[in-house]
Amino acid sequence: MKRYLPYLLFIAALAITPFLDRFVQSLVYNFAIAAMAALAVNIMIGFAGQITFAAGALIGVGAYAGGLLGNAGLDVVSLLGAGLVTAAISVFIGLPALRLRGLYFAMSTLAAQFILEYLFKNVDPVTNGLSGLLIEPPKFFGIAIDTEFRTAIAALILLLLVWLACRNLTQSQLGRAFLVMRESEIVAKGMGINVPQTKFWCFALTGFLMGIAGAMLGFSTHIANPEAFGISLSVDYVAMMIIGGLGSLTGSLIGAAFITLMPEIIQRIGEHLHLGSRIFAVREIIFGALIMLFLIFEPRGIVALFSSLKGNNQTPGASTAK
Amino acid sequence: MISMQLAVAGIAIGSVYALIALGIVLIYKASGVVNFAQGGYVMCGAYVTYALLQAGLSPFIAIPLGILLLGLLGSATEYFVLRPMLRAPVVAVMMVTLGILITMRGVVLFFYGSDTQPFPRVFPTGLMSFGGVMITSNYLIAATASVLLVVAFIIFYQRTTLGLMQRASADNNKAALAIGIHVSNQINLAWFLSSALAGFGGILLATLNGVHDSLADIGLIAFPVIVLGGLSSLGGALLAGILLGLLESFTNGMLAPTLEMWLRAHTKIYSVGAIQQVIPYAVLVLVLFGRPQGIFGKRGAERV
Amino acid sequence: MKRLSLAPIALALGLSFSAQAEPTITICEWGTITGADALVNGMAYGARDYFEYLNQTKGGIAGVKINALLLDGRYKLDEELKIYRRCVSQENAVVIGGWSTGAAKALRADTTKDQVPFMTQSYSSDLLDPEKLPYMFMAGPTYEQQIILGLNDAKKRGARRVVLMHADNEYGRAPVKVIREEKAVEKLGMELVDVIEFKYDAQDLTAQLIRVKESKPDVVYIQSSTNQTIVILRDAAKIGLKPDLFVGNFYNINPAIPEQLKESAEGFRAVQLYTNWGVDIPAMRQINEFSKKNKIEKQDIYYMKGWLEGMVIAAAIENAVKANGGKVPEDISAFRKATRDQLAALKNFDTGGISPKLNYADHRGFSQARMAIIKGGKYIGATDWLKLADDQ
Repeated sequence: MKRYLPYLLFIAALAITPFLDRFVQSLVYNFAIAAMAALAVNIMIGFAGQITFAAGALIGVGAYAGGLLGNAGLDVVSLLGAGLVTAAISVFIGLPALRLRGLYFAMSTLAAQFILEYLFKNVDPVTNGLSGLLIEPPKFFGIAIDTEFRTAIAALILLLLVWLACRNLTQSQLGRAFLVMRESEIVAKGMGINVPQTKFWCFALTGFLMGIAGAMLGFSTHIANPEAFGISLSVDYVAMMIIGGLGSLTGSLIGAAFITLMPEIIQRIGEHLHLGSRIFAVREIIFGALIMLFLIFEPRGIVALFSSLKGNNQTPGASTAK
Repeated sequence: MISMQLAVAGIAIGSVYALIALGIVLIYKASGVVNFAQGGYVMCGAYVTYALLQAGLSPFIAIPLGILLLGLLGSATEYFVLRPMLRAPVVAVMMVTLGILITMRGVVLFFYGSDTQPFPRVFPTGLMSFGGVMITSNYLIAATASVLLVVAFIIFYQRTTLGLMQRASADNNKAALAIGIHVSNQINLAWFLSSALAGFGGILLATLNGVHDSLADIGLIAFPVIVLGGLSSLGGALLAGILLGLLESFTNGMLAPTLEMWLRAHTKIYSVGAIQQVIPYAVLVLVLFGRPQGIFGKRGAERV
Repeated sequence: MKRLSLAPIALALGLSFSAQAEPTITICEWGTITGADALVNGMAYGARDYFEYLNQTKGGIAGVKINALLLDGRYKLDEELKIYRRCVSQENAVVIGGWSTGAAKALRADTTKDQVPFMTQSYSSDLLDPEKLPYMFMAGPTYEQQIILGLNDAKKRGARRVVLMHADNEYGRAPVKVIREEKAVEKLGMELVDVIEFKYDAQDLTAQLIRVKESKPDVVYIQSSTNQTIVILRDAAKIGLKPDLFVGNFYNINPAIPEQLKESAEGFRAVQLYTNWGVDIPAMRQINEFSKKNKIEKQDIYYMKGWLEGMVIAAAIENAVKANGGKVPEDISAFRKATRDQLAALKNFDTGGISPKLNYADHRGFSQARMAIIKGGKYIGATDWLKLADDQ
């Protein structure tokens, strides 16, 4: 029964969406997009152990690429194209850093994040610079995705596909190689794992998924604006995984749900309490405090809380000792 | 002439960068942790001192008190947040410092909102001119203070017993423990000193710009500085800070206009945008690929 | 994980259901309550306060209290777009008040498709198109008109060499680009010597100003918000550039500037579009009455702008209700359409002295401005009120 839980939830989500108002529907697709990105980032950081700060910029690449291809009328191929372009850039960022590890690799991704941001803002012929790239509602298999409802359904379906792909990846040989590499590159090498090649696949695959998430983001907001893909987005994704559960796919979903819904809940409660100008401050405080609390007391995230409540430890590869 | 002016501006801003980076290096040396929250302490230093001034204390009391309080804040953070995470992977510890930064920003926003608060002119503000190069005296004082502090710290580290104990703990916890050095106290001291430094940096910046939550952003520029200077080198932080300050100044004052003039004449591109934002990161990338340990760092110093 | 999300969905659903119970007047606006240009958020408060004022003195409009929502856009595009979606669907707002140039541009298609009247705080000429963008409104002359006024004024004082400085966001770049491409500076008989872009949240611009000094301009126009003007004037003082070299747009009339910079702000000029806070006009008396029982967040010229916008929006709604026989329309889209029509139909509208009488057929209300200058730590009028050419 537990194995089918995600799929049942997916069907439930599809069923309830038509009855929600536009704003809540936008929460649904925002969740789905965040979840896809969180899955990708989790595989990179949680499973393969490569800390990255470039998630925000890579999502941006996906949004621009998807938008340009979608505006050119490429239908669903625009998603694939966005994925491939982002995969290429992800590899481009990651590969020269093959020799770098841990902190230094993280620094190089930080640099990549800022450099890409700069390019978004200034390479006007491609990105339309600061005005942002206007993205028309895309067509998927001929159906125009121009209402919140359709966007939500499309995003949910994509999320399911991405989820299945990630499940298969983590259970494959490559996925296991990621885990070993995370623990120790030397041990991996000793076991005959080709570390550079494994890293390549890690960057490429996670980049591809981030590209798809980014493209959907562009399609849903109808604009790719350079200021939306900054370092705070990257930090958001890292936080998502810490709260949800590093190294756990379900954890990514939980983290994404959290990050999408928590600001809204706090916003409504804040309005109710007439906090006015301080609502955002409260949000930040709660956000920061949660990150600290989870890391100190339950680094395996919410996922681990549920497991320990049930008394079993089903989180794959979530060991934290290093 | 313009180069002298740009150089002076560059050194002024660079010395503040060095101050911030120094704090990060102190903590890294003592505990192997990169403190992403350093910018947050800068911001808090400014706000705490501002609050003390608002409460009616004279600047002569408020400023030292503010620095002291920041030091205590750093100590407290180390004790309550970092110490429980001793056994956690370095990734997690870095993330927790991010959490600290986010929380600090939230608290400041909660109490003070987003408006820039004016900070009293603690230093005289006359315009001074040295052979055609102009600088206002408060900038001069800020820059001098930064450099003096950095040098003082380096002396402290190299020449005093306490400094020796700090270096011993940083170098090898177990050996230090073995000879009776209380390592966790040393780590706590490093945090205290680092946040006191950051607090002072925040006060300096506040006298120049006023008090605003964006003061925390200066923490980000510290990373190219420490990579360039070497993660574990104090002198490197000073040198790299000034170098990057100069680089930024000359980029804005000379490189960008020259580039733009050329681009405007030969292409349809009109502006290179805020290029000074990316230049330090481009430098960071070059350093990482060419000489990852930076100017003064040690080879094999990548702790992870 | 869906268990987690049911609670807020129920909350949200509950809210949206209750909104459809009886006819309401909801006006939903957002501003930068926390963020890069928070110093000018008086206008967001001003508008909301005007609606509260109506509620307190007249019981709202046609006996229905106005539900005025003020949300925090934080000057972040994705946040602003999210708020728009909430305003247009969940809150069923009859009029929406936007903030940034970027958001308004991104919402050009949406506001037209959703047919909801949108009052933006931007003055971008790209947003002014009564035919193609029938639902988009602003409150005053465009940035381009302001730039030309500022430069013209400098020309009268003998300036010829011009440098434009602007922030690296849509608000900064777009008007400067228009000015450049239309060769507006040359048409004035002046010379555009340099254009400098800087990061919109920069804290140090010394090097950029050294570059400015090298070009020896006679006037430097700043297309940015108060926060950055403070940085510019402060860093200019560092290298000996006097504040009277600089001119700013409307978003630079802020008591914070002389307060922070003291003598480094004396002589700075800015374009003034409305009557300043504290001047004895009918609107100011209304505000004073309101302040007896309510806290006023920002006491500055931006608040006056907000009050004006409140007046305009309330008048349009009132007329729409009157046209519907004195009852608030049940159907929200009819209500929105009617309000839009009434807004565009406003003629010779009295704003209690904040501005000249408004004519909203051109969707901007009026085209008058004057130069203000900082003298003795305060902004005072430097020229007469001029009618600006309908440039864009």
